[in-house]
Amino acid sequence: MSRLRKFERFLFKYSLIPPHKWRRAAIVAVAAFIGLGLYVLRVSNAASYLSDDPQACVNCHLMTPQYITWTHSSHREVAHCNDCHVPHNNVVNKYFFKAKDGLYHASIFTLRAEPQVIQAKSASVEVIHNNCIRCHEDQVTDTKTAALVENHHAKRTDRLCWDCHREVPHGRVKGLSSVGLQLEPIRLYDPDRKVVPAWLQKTMEEKNKKTQAK
Amino acid sequence: MKNWLLFLGTIVIVFLLAMLVYSIMDRRTEGRFAYKAQVAIEGIEPRDSLWGLNYPRQYQSYQKTQDTSFKSRYNTSGFRDALEEDPETIILWAGYSFSKGYNQPRGHNHAVRDVLASVRIGAPVDTANTAIPSTCWTCKSPDVPRLMSELGVKEFYSKKIPEFGSQVINPIGCADCHDPKTMNLTITRPALIEAFKANGRDINNASHQEMRSLVCAQCHVEYYFDKTSPDKKGSNYLTFPWKNGYGVESMIAYYDSIGFADWVHPLSKAPMLKAQHPDHEIYSFGVHAKRGVSCADCHMPYGTEGGQKFTDHHIGSPLANVENSCFVCHRERVEDLVSDVYERQGKVKGTSEVVQRNIAMAHLEAEQAWKLGATEAQMKNILKNIRHAQFRWDYIAASHGAGFHAPLEATRVLASASAIIQEARVELVRVLASLGQSQPVKMPDLSSKSALQAYIGVDLEKEKMQKAEFLEQVVPKWLAEGKAREARKKVTMLQ
Repeated sequence: MSRLRKFERFLFKYSLIPPHKWRRAAIVAVAAFIGLGLYVLRVSNAASYLSDDPQACVNCHLMTPQYITWTHSSHREVAHCNDCHVPHNNVVNKYFFKAKDGLYHASIFTLRAEPQVIQAKSASVEVIHNNCIRCHEDQVTDTKTAALVENHHAKRTDRLCWDCHREVPHGRVKGLSSVGLQLEPIRLYDPDRKVVPAWLQKTMEEKNKKTQAK
Repeated sequence: MKNWLLFLGTIVIVFLLAMLVYSIMDRRTEGRFAYKAQVAIEGIEPRDSLWGLNYPRQYQSYQKTQDTSFKSRYNTSGFRDALEEDPETIILWAGYSFSKGYNQPRGHNHAVRDVLASVRIGAPVDTANTAIPSTCWTCKSPDVPRLMSELGVKEFYSKKIPEFGSQVINPIGCADCHDPKTMNLTITRPALIEAFKANGRDINNASHQEMRSLVCAQCHVEYYFDKTSPDKKGSNYLTFPWKNGYGVESMIAYYDSIGFADWVHPLSKAPMLKAQHPDHEIYSFGVHAKRGVSCADCHMPYGTEGGQKFTDHHIGSPLANVENSCFVCHRERVEDLVSDVYERQGKVKGTSEVVQRNIAMAHLEAEQAWKLGATEAQMKNILKNIRHAQFRWDYIAASHGAGFHAPLEATRVLASASAIIQEARVELVRVLASLGQSQPVKMPDLSSKSALQAYIGVDLEKEKMQKAEFLEQVVPKWLAEGKAREARKKVTMLQ
């Protein structure tokens, strides 16, 4: 109780309480602020940004070309957006970078200031490059390659991976022209994914039951 | 005064927040219009032209399977007469409809058209004049899963071809391999699922890469019609003989154990097996399968159009598109790669021709032995060997591309077929000698299609007349009926 009083006194001291006759309206305004705030969280699907689900990245349609080119690449089966685009050295850095990048994207998108062709900024470039190495270290440092490929050490250290591997994974043509329609939501690692359609599963089960009944 | 400022400040913040909410909703609505489908694909939709509105590149490339202009050296598309090329096979298939006519295939788009035009099904005008079961439709059309879901699987297998004449009108298409909601690959034919189960495996565990082969394995496999199992009586239930494995020995053991024969050979009286097209099985023995390469990797390689990457649905010989298929892994000259393929195919084909000639001679020698009064006891082992040798030969010959898919396995199987048929012929010589014939058996000209068809009594003249009438009178009626049925189905356009 005393804490509440202290807080009240604090508000009065700095004149943060509106005059008596406006107090009711002020309560409504603050409630609207909180209510709208919650609505923003809901309508922007904010909770999804805490996950690693690539679907979160296409909450904004702006990322659809990146999403589609990735779903048409071999990386689809092994690496999601976050595996490459946020750092993985520690968990704090991961969420810090994600929040920083995400809020920047959201602000630019809201201001309608997005460029026609989206390119990684230098902070991102470093993160992505480190992530290439994180998975492919054994391949790029394989001693056999060092023996077989001319200037191998220089070639793998003085440039970015995608300076040469230009198709990986989003393809050579970047932008709206590089994608067709992506109508279907691709859900990866769906535990309920069945390759047998429901109707066929049902008909076959019925048949089994009939045989057993006989 | 401060209080006033604070109050107004809160109002402004709420106002801006409301604008943010509006902006988010606005941009979400935009997203709903971008990349939007043209048409809703509902249920099992057999009409490719509707899917094509949503997936124009895949659809348009798939339509190219109509094109049969590419010619490869062996097993090519476009109706090359296989009996003309290998006349001995007429003796091998005597008493079975393959001896009437056997053409090289055409692309997927021709599936329905070609089965109706095939001389092997005769003229199935109505159920009274044909014995050809509805099961023959199974691999021809996405109308089949539709019918199976409507009628039930066993019921689908229990009819005859003309009963679905106006139902099965769309050639193999999108709905055969794709889930309309997610576009994931899907298995729509129960036989493959059941074959996996018989083998103790669950097809739902298949990886994406495996699915890129398994959708093809719904049809490109060896199969038979089960009419005798208790739960399948009364139907021609499509079944794969995979219980013991994919290999030719496993299949023969399986067929022998259930006492199955496709037909009894009228010349040699041997209970014969006809191999269909064990493409998936033979492929699994090859080096490409071992390295995890799927059917689609070579037969449906990635292509680009306007910078867009997509799977080329023009399914056909990779030799027509070496740059996109082989080049992904093999950096060689096109001519070198093509000649490597032809070399393997040619050597397997050459061996296959030797074996088929020997099998044909064995049939004719057995015929002579029966004529001279051979007993069942004398012939029993010979007939078993003819049955086994011919199935081994057919397992390779009937498979599309066995010579390249698994050249080593193909050669091994042909070598075993050759040994078995030689054994049968040695025994036949002994039986013939015991019956008083020491001279070689007189044979018809093994290199003339017409002479051999005349020898086994194939007369196509009457059948051709009936066939022409069937194709001119009955088929267009079926097609019109089917189109009218489809026209009544509602199409939901989304834009």
